[in-house]
Amino acid sequence: MASSCWGLPELLCEFPSLPNSTLRHMRMGIDDGFRGIVRAYSDQIDAATRPLQWFLNTLEHAFVDTPWFIIFALILVVVWFASRNVKIVLGSSMGLAFIGIFGLWEDTMTTLAMVTVATLIAIILGLPIGILMARSDRMQKILTPVLDVMQTMPSFVYLIPVVVIFGIGKVPGVIAVVIYAIPPMIRLTNLGIRLVDKEVIEAADAFGANPRQKLWGVQLPLSLPTIMAGVNQTIMMALAMVVVASMVGVGGLGKNVLQAINNQFFTIGFLNGFALVAIAIIFDRASQAFGKRLQKHSEAGHD
Amino acid sequence: MNKKALAALLTALPLATFSAPAFAADGECGSVTEAEMNWASAGVAAWVDKIILENGYGCDVTLVTGDTMPTFTSMNEKGEPDIAPELWVNAVKVALDKAVSEDRLVIAAEILKDGGEEGWWIPKYVADEHPDIKTVDDALKHPDLFPDPEEPSIGGVYNCPSGWNCQISTANRFKAHKAEEKGFKLVDTGSAAGLDGAIANAYESKKGWLGYYWAPTAILGKYPMVKLDAGVEGDKEAWDNCNSQADCVDPKPNAYPTSDVYTVVTKEFAENNAVAMDYLGKREWSNKTVGEFLAWQADNQGTNEDTAYYFLENYPDVWKAWLSDDVIKKVEDAL
Repeated sequence: MASSCWGLPELLCEFPSLPNSTLRHMRMGIDDGFRGIVRAYSDQIDAATRPLQWFLNTLEHAFVDTPWFIIFALILVVVWFASRNVKIVLGSSMGLAFIGIFGLWEDTMTTLAMVTVATLIAIILGLPIGILMARSDRMQKILTPVLDVMQTMPSFVYLIPVVVIFGIGKVPGVIAVVIYAIPPMIRLTNLGIRLVDKEVIEAADAFGANPRQKLWGVQLPLSLPTIMAGVNQTIMMALAMVVVASMVGVGGLGKNVLQAINNQFFTIGFLNGFALVAIAIIFDRASQAFGKRLQKHSEAGHD
Repeated sequence: MNKKALAALLTALPLATFSAPAFAADGECGSVTEAEMNWASAGVAAWVDKIILENGYGCDVTLVTGDTMPTFTSMNEKGEPDIAPELWVNAVKVALDKAVSEDRLVIAAEILKDGGEEGWWIPKYVADEHPDIKTVDDALKHPDLFPDPEEPSIGGVYNCPSGWNCQISTANRFKAHKAEEKGFKLVDTGSAAGLDGAIANAYESKKGWLGYYWAPTAILGKYPMVKLDAGVEGDKEAWDNCNSQADCVDPKPNAYPTSDVYTVVTKEFAENNAVAMDYLGKREWSNKTVGEFLAWQADNQGTNEDTAYYFLENYPDVWKAWLSDDVIKKVEDAL
């Protein structure tokens, strides 16, 4: 095949790379070091993840074991309070009915529990990081490329270290989902705060607000619509990632999709895919309507 | 577009156009597509085929990534790719028989001489520490030794990946041995990567592990495991009719039968490619050989390609038996 290179000498034809054995030793060195860390700290790692495990198990049991009509009603109530829109509530009830009729209720509840926990963690971690990033240009310079890597790295790659460190099951699944889903939360928090009108800040300064008052009283409320868009994006990405996370033993809809891929079960794959889409639309419409209402409120405040 | 990007594009264009025709010129055998299955022994087999077919027979081999069911379905329905190097027949028995009888697919050879070995395994360090654990029932007496990853207070049996046929047979064995009453739960591993990762994780922290696995594999080359005895004689008929079926009502304990593992090719390829078929028909190796080079691969983090070259360099007796003298010479020259 060397002829495919205009007859140039080897050096110009193939990019000079490190010798195979060097590369192999490098890879093995890094992996062995990584394994060594896991080996040394496996008890501590287990202890650290136990609360998360407990939380996940409890929430999943709560979702799965509660009679379906209670959860059904609960979701609609939440959607109503978020959106105050009858059409969205009706659409959501149709989506949930579709899920139930096609026998996917239990799997959907498992997935919902996972996504809820992952989203909560992403918000709890992402919000302060986003605030930090908005306050310091240096932080922004450091974090932006990190976020780029997190979003661009093929999501399967996260699963490798996560499984070796945490084993398989819901905990490693949630961790992988959070890594994948947290960047928009951070980015949009940062953006929202940075976009707050300079004059408003000046006014706050003029009234003698200290930084904390400025943050809680002015910047965060005014950037809430953007932050809500971040939450919305995070939920969407978490839902997408749940299928990938099922490769490390997370149950729910993702498991069925994976099973369908492995067996070429076209219908099962699509039904489960649509169930995911249904939840995604419910979340999306509700949180967007919520965000819009927040926006209206703040705009009214301006007048 | 700025000047730099334009310049880059202009230099890239001729590269693309000139490099393409150089591939097509290769000899008599023409272009062959082969599935590089996503487990190690089959991946290495694909690369060994690629090296031998290209250098020995002048084929132009393209490897495509594959998994059992997608590859089988694609070959059955669309006649693409041409070769599946290592198909575990148990997983597709009925469909394969049908495809063979209807002249769509051809079984070229039995690639694993000894067949595939499946069963429930425990890590060697656990077996050494507890010499009383020899059979599946022995292991099920100790839920504390094999904790479930999510609820460590009960035992866990790691199931075969989602959607694989062994998922059904493992669940049936779990039921047959009344494992649930003995304090065990069936753990969903999701994928082969999840299952492998669970073993690696258990090994790194020296925890107990009990679950389904199969040989020959890199994992078993790297992490020594002991296969548990079924405790009963194998009953092939019960296996085919019940233990391996999803709707088996009352599964009885049974031993995993040895799996037939074949190289399967499309009918079109078999008819048009006599030379390559002749080679594929003779290509077979033992589990011991496969276990050895997979262990080398795992220890050295070799790619499938590295391992194929390692195999060709270190096991000449094995592969020379497949080829005629002039082809052997050509392959040797290429190494």
